[in-house]
Amino acid sequence: MVGPQYDLVGNPLGAVRSTFERAAAAAAAESGGRDPVAAFRAKDWGATEVFRSFLFDQGGIDKVPVLDASNLGLIKPNTLVRFRGMVQDMLGSEFYAGAFKDGSTWRTNKFTDFSPFTMPHPCDSHLWERHLLHCVPVPGQNSWTMESSPGPDLRQMSNCSTSEQRDKRKRDGDDDAMDVSENGNGEGSSFSKKPKEDGVQGSSSSPEMPVSEDRVPEMNGDDHHIPGSFFSCLVKVYDMPESQVKLNDVAEFIGVYTFDPELAAPVDNSDDIMFDLLEDVTAQLPPSKVPRLHCLMSRKLSCHDFLSKQPAVEPSPSLLKGIRQSLLSHLTLVLGKDDLAAHCLLLHLLSRLRTKVDLVTVGRLSLNFTGFNRESASIFGNRLNTLVQRLVPYSQAIPLSIDYLNTATLQPRKDNKSGRLVTGVLQLPQGTHLTFDETLLQSGSLASKGVENTVLLKNLMESQMVEYDFEYYKLEMATDVQLLTLSEAKSNILPSDLVVPFRPSSVPAVNASLEELESWRWYLATVRSLPQLSEPETYQAIQDDMVNVMRNDRSLGCSELSRWLTMAQLTASSFGEKSLSMEHWQMVKELERLRKERMQ
Amino acid sequence: MATNRGGGNSSPPNNSVSSPDVRPSSPLPATNSSPPQSTRRAVGRRRRGSASPYPSSPSLGGFETPPPPGRSTPSGAGPTRQRQNWTGRFPPTPSTPMSTDDVPMSSEAGDEDTPETDGGGAGVDATPVFVWGTNISVQDVNAAILRFLRHFRDPRDAGRVDPVMDEGKYMRAIHRILELEGGESLDVDAHDVFDHDPDLYGKMVRYPLEVLAIFDIVLMDLVARIEPLFEKHIQTRIYNLKSSICLRNLNPSDIEKMVSIKGMIIRCSSVIPELKEAVFRCLVCGFYSEPVMVDRGRVTEPQRCQKEQCKATNSMTLVHNRCRFSDKQIIKLQETPDEIPEGGTPHTVSVLMHDKLVDAGKPGDRVEITGIYRAMSIRIGPSQRTVKSIFKTYIDCLHIKKTDKSRLHIEDGMDTDSTNASKTSEDDFVRDKIEKLKELSKLPDIYDRLTRSLAPNIWELDDVKRGLLCQLFGGNALRLPSGANFRGDINILLVGDPGTSKSQLLQYMHKLSPRGIYTSGRGSSAVGLTAYVAKDPETGETVLESGALVLSDKGVCCIDEFDKMSDNARSMLHEVMEQQTVSIAKAGIIASLNARTSVLACANPSESRYNPRLSVIDNIHLPPTLLSRFDLIYLILDKADEQTDRRLAKHIVSLHFENPDVEEHQVLDLPTLVAYISYARKYIEPQLSDEAAEELTRGYVEMRKRGNSPGSRKKVITATARQIESLIRLSEALARMRFSEVVGVRDVTEAFRLLEVAMQQSATDHATGTIDMDLIMTGISASERQRRDNLVAAIRNLVMEKMQLGGPSMRMIELLEELRQQSSMEVHLHDVRGALGTLMSEGTVVMHGDSFKRT
Repeated sequence: MVGPQYDLVGNPLGAVRSTFERAAAAAAAESGGRDPVAAFRAKDWGATEVFRSFLFDQGGIDKVPVLDASNLGLIKPNTLVRFRGMVQDMLGSEFYAGAFKDGSTWRTNKFTDFSPFTMPHPCDSHLWERHLLHCVPVPGQNSWTMESSPGPDLRQMSNCSTSEQRDKRKRDGDDDAMDVSENGNGEGSSFSKKPKEDGVQGSSSSPEMPVSEDRVPEMNGDDHHIPGSFFSCLVKVYDMPESQVKLNDVAEFIGVYTFDPELAAPVDNSDDIMFDLLEDVTAQLPPSKVPRLHCLMSRKLSCHDFLSKQPAVEPSPSLLKGIRQSLLSHLTLVLGKDDLAAHCLLLHLLSRLRTKVDLVTVGRLSLNFTGFNRESASIFGNRLNTLVQRLVPYSQAIPLSIDYLNTATLQPRKDNKSGRLVTGVLQLPQGTHLTFDETLLQSGSLASKGVENTVLLKNLMESQMVEYDFEYYKLEMATDVQLLTLSEAKSNILPSDLVVPFRPSSVPAVNASLEELESWRWYLATVRSLPQLSEPETYQAIQDDMVNVMRNDRSLGCSELSRWLTMAQLTASSFGEKSLSMEHWQMVKELERLRKERMQ
Repeated sequence: MATNRGGGNSSPPNNSVSSPDVRPSSPLPATNSSPPQSTRRAVGRRRRGSASPYPSSPSLGGFETPPPPGRSTPSGAGPTRQRQNWTGRFPPTPSTPMSTDDVPMSSEAGDEDTPETDGGGAGVDATPVFVWGTNISVQDVNAAILRFLRHFRDPRDAGRVDPVMDEGKYMRAIHRILELEGGESLDVDAHDVFDHDPDLYGKMVRYPLEVLAIFDIVLMDLVARIEPLFEKHIQTRIYNLKSSICLRNLNPSDIEKMVSIKGMIIRCSSVIPELKEAVFRCLVCGFYSEPVMVDRGRVTEPQRCQKEQCKATNSMTLVHNRCRFSDKQIIKLQETPDEIPEGGTPHTVSVLMHDKLVDAGKPGDRVEITGIYRAMSIRIGPSQRTVKSIFKTYIDCLHIKKTDKSRLHIEDGMDTDSTNASKTSEDDFVRDKIEKLKELSKLPDIYDRLTRSLAPNIWELDDVKRGLLCQLFGGNALRLPSGANFRGDINILLVGDPGTSKSQLLQYMHKLSPRGIYTSGRGSSAVGLTAYVAKDPETGETVLESGALVLSDKGVCCIDEFDKMSDNARSMLHEVMEQQTVSIAKAGIIASLNARTSVLACANPSESRYNPRLSVIDNIHLPPTLLSRFDLIYLILDKADEQTDRRLAKHIVSLHFENPDVEEHQVLDLPTLVAYISYARKYIEPQLSDEAAEELTRGYVEMRKRGNSPGSRKKVITATARQIESLIRLSEALARMRFSEVVGVRDVTEAFRLLEVAMQQSATDHATGTIDMDLIMTGISASERQRRDNLVAAIRNLVMEKMQLGGPSMRMIELLEELRQQSSMEVHLHDVRGALGTLMSEGTVVMHGDSFKRT
């Protein structure tokens, strides 16, 4: 393997090229000069391996800055960066001259948009393919996930450590602190990434910019396609079947950040009408506004990747049980000492979509807390939102009002004019938590958009599907979203699986230490990913019990019993058990009994 | 696409074969893969009266197309670009490029040496000419094409014994074009090419630019020999390739290949007139220049006037109306939903359309496009040193075929009301899909299979499911010339105990039905047009009120909790279920809106559990008038069957723990089922056969007879005219399930069975155990009526016996006692009161409160 003779962070392309030239020369020698690079199409010739060993074996990953809105202007083009985001749109593939002959040497254009060499006649080049992904910061990402991601330490970057950046870095730190405190205050909305945005503006308008003005990409603040987001990134993925990436995946990309002012300059050959008409989507995302990232490596992110410290311990039942107890007591406090509600909330937070058979979804547990009025919704609703924000990576709180239903764009829609997917509120990554506050909903007429939105919400509730509008047809996308509804009485607009009348007895003060929060986050992430093993004896016992239960209460149907089983499984997981036992089944039955009592 | 031609300019004068070489081959260095002939890369072209120097560059404008890996061809939009020139409205002039000047020449020169033999006319002694960079011999291809055009016989014509038909399919087509003088293109089925000459097909797909150019030339040559004066250029349009590629699988190796893709047009640009030939005029002397060809998207303006006498410099100006333009359009093609993998977004590709193809499709059309996949580099600016390494790709369209013919049918259906077809844009019945459906329909057990496929997670209730299936397929709506309207929609009511998965059935139906609306009786102002969020003042529950019926026109309207519907809304249903319209009064104007919907309602018994001792009417407080409008009423009773419970429990558990893929076999999946239903609804219009009609009559009469069983004194109505209509609808639906155009006897028999099953459950008089339509029609069974009559008679006797005219009054309690002593009948006070009421109207008694006296 080739040793890192190059500064892999500062000049990754150098390494790419040198490995390529070496590989090409070797291939040429082997094949006797017949088209040596043809074999490198859609293949790695060893470049990624160099980076992989550098980043992961030698710990080089800490030296790679994270590209985000705040440091966009600070990172030099053609350096190695990391970017975490959600795949918001897939823009198809792009063909480029991947390999070409420069004199007698084969050179490559992989991982870059433009060539430092003069392009020879097209005859001597090979056309390769790469996929374009439009990525945005994860919608509803909670601030704790940002602080925990290993920080972009610009100071360690050998080639751009100026005093301004140190200042900048400090400011970033302040921002993080602000985020935390803001969270503590329990701001109702989770769209709270304002501080970051401020940071960005500070950086791009800063007079003492280390790089000249024209080399700084401006923010795409006016990109109407992504409302509420001020930053997006065009990731170019190589050598990967597109099926590996799905829409709305959250992933980390490590790659070369390119920005070329020449390319960013507006193209002014208006005489070529052909050119204008064949314009592709990337024209909508000018490099001056959307940075390009040529992905060397990528991986999907799960909840675990956002945890600051990965406890190296095995998730043993006893450990999990302890954390469960502390989390449960915290939930009880937050919910005004309503133990039943706390239990249900815990199960709800642990739920995830497990399978889907036809129309039946298994594993989801949407929760509807009833008995709220405006006042209690403002108290407990806020407490709940804050709590959820601090526990799960992505969450959003949606105040449901007639006005909101009539005006909000929930449905993602393909704009065939621009060729891009216009995001909607319901374009969410898997595992997002959504809280609907229905107490704000008054009687009133719905416009057609309102009706569409309610249908969308109902579909999401019932089948975990969101319909995307592609103008000439609709496409259903599977989601896995936890849904919590706060309402006065059972909501028929948002039919939840579990309806629990909420009965708080007091409003105790709650606070949780960072350590506790961290352990809870780890607990939720771990338990949600626990596998469920099957034990035939238990199932037989549960089946028998179900028959008994049905004999006694004829009103129980398939949906109730199915929900009970979901809850029993979640209960078992919450104790860290890998398989369900009758004990958990009985616990759920007891829970159900208490809930039924309240319903009357 | 340069062609190496041996001998350069010295090629045989009549060698029309050479003309694919429309432009000089580019002076590219030979790469490793170039053929040994590279030494003979001489530029072989002749030019007559060449006033316009033809560009000697391999590429036009920005269209620098690199060759796909592994193959080196001089690139460029060459032939296709050139081909466009031929399709112009002007006859080829000497100044048109190379390729055309061969054609007029050979026609002028007569037929002396045009290809006469299958060997091709290139002359046996001619040095083989190869397509540059390949081992394709131009002569061979030329000959192969000629062979194909002349000798291809459509196998379908084989059976014909028409001696006149001795000409091949394409020769006839050419003749037709010549006769009509209209066509400018010859459509060539690629399957025919393959059947005739697989080698030619392979070459055509791999090197379409070269082979198609030869194709055109051979064709023109042929035409010229038949009709020397024919001036238009005929272009070859290949279609129906052996394999069509998925839009998302287009990759660099497809560049410069002929591809066939299916997709949906999502955007069309406006039509762009593209300058082909420019004519300049001298401002000084008025001299018109020779037409100047467009080169690389640019026209070079002559520096000076070409007229000898003038020679003025910088005096030439473009004369727009003498220039030649061609139409051009760019459309965007997007993947159709069925090709998009889960979690992906559809891909798009640009397609370049020329001339006749412009405006051949409009946004929303599903099309199959055959064309050449091209790439062009992106220019950064005129003075760019670094060239962007990115390429734009597009497809040069050769042929466009609309695959979506179903749209028209739907629109027709809407207009004429002849069918209840609905299900709009989504269904694209590609032929093989239809074939698959038809195959399915031929299965002997399709009826059972469909039944199993409907809500496979709900067991038992097979007859209910069959009824629901009938509802999905529907009968034929009929509108008589007199204006009478017979609905084809089947309405079904499910009554049953809670927890019997009625709601699930409804949900399932809602998913399956073309334009289904699912609504809860509690929240639907059924007829309203606006949707409204309402809050229950007592409980604070929020509900959505929507105009469900209007929205589900031509679909199934699923109403859950039908019993909880407000009387007002329910009364509107009368109109909907019989007239299929909804009348809405707004501001003094009464609007009648179509609501051609099947109603599927489900109701809970009023006492939460069904009381078998009461009639349906008493169990669900629904007016009999409304009830009678349902074709089928099913009672779904929870029979507390442990077997069923166990099965349910097992199902739930397996859903959660086991691999749920292990489902029952032989079940149609949801999309197939939906497709099956919508196809049947759209295309199948079964008619009642005579035998079926007879069977219907016979069965109906028999049903009526059953009421007059010897034992009973009073006639019990077991069937009414409404049932006959229902039966017809049901049998039509059953025929549709088999894709049968004829309603057979077995359909009628099954319809009778379905109806009987439903009636057995709902219209059975529990006192006697017989079916009594009066139960549904009036709410009172015949036996009940009989009982009441008996009571009245008994009281009358009693009164006559025991009471004097004008005598003291008698209390009802006393009467009750008397009656109880007298007869074995169980008598209730309210029965007595009812009977006395009857007597009072007869004038026998007068009632005062609780007592009465004889009058």
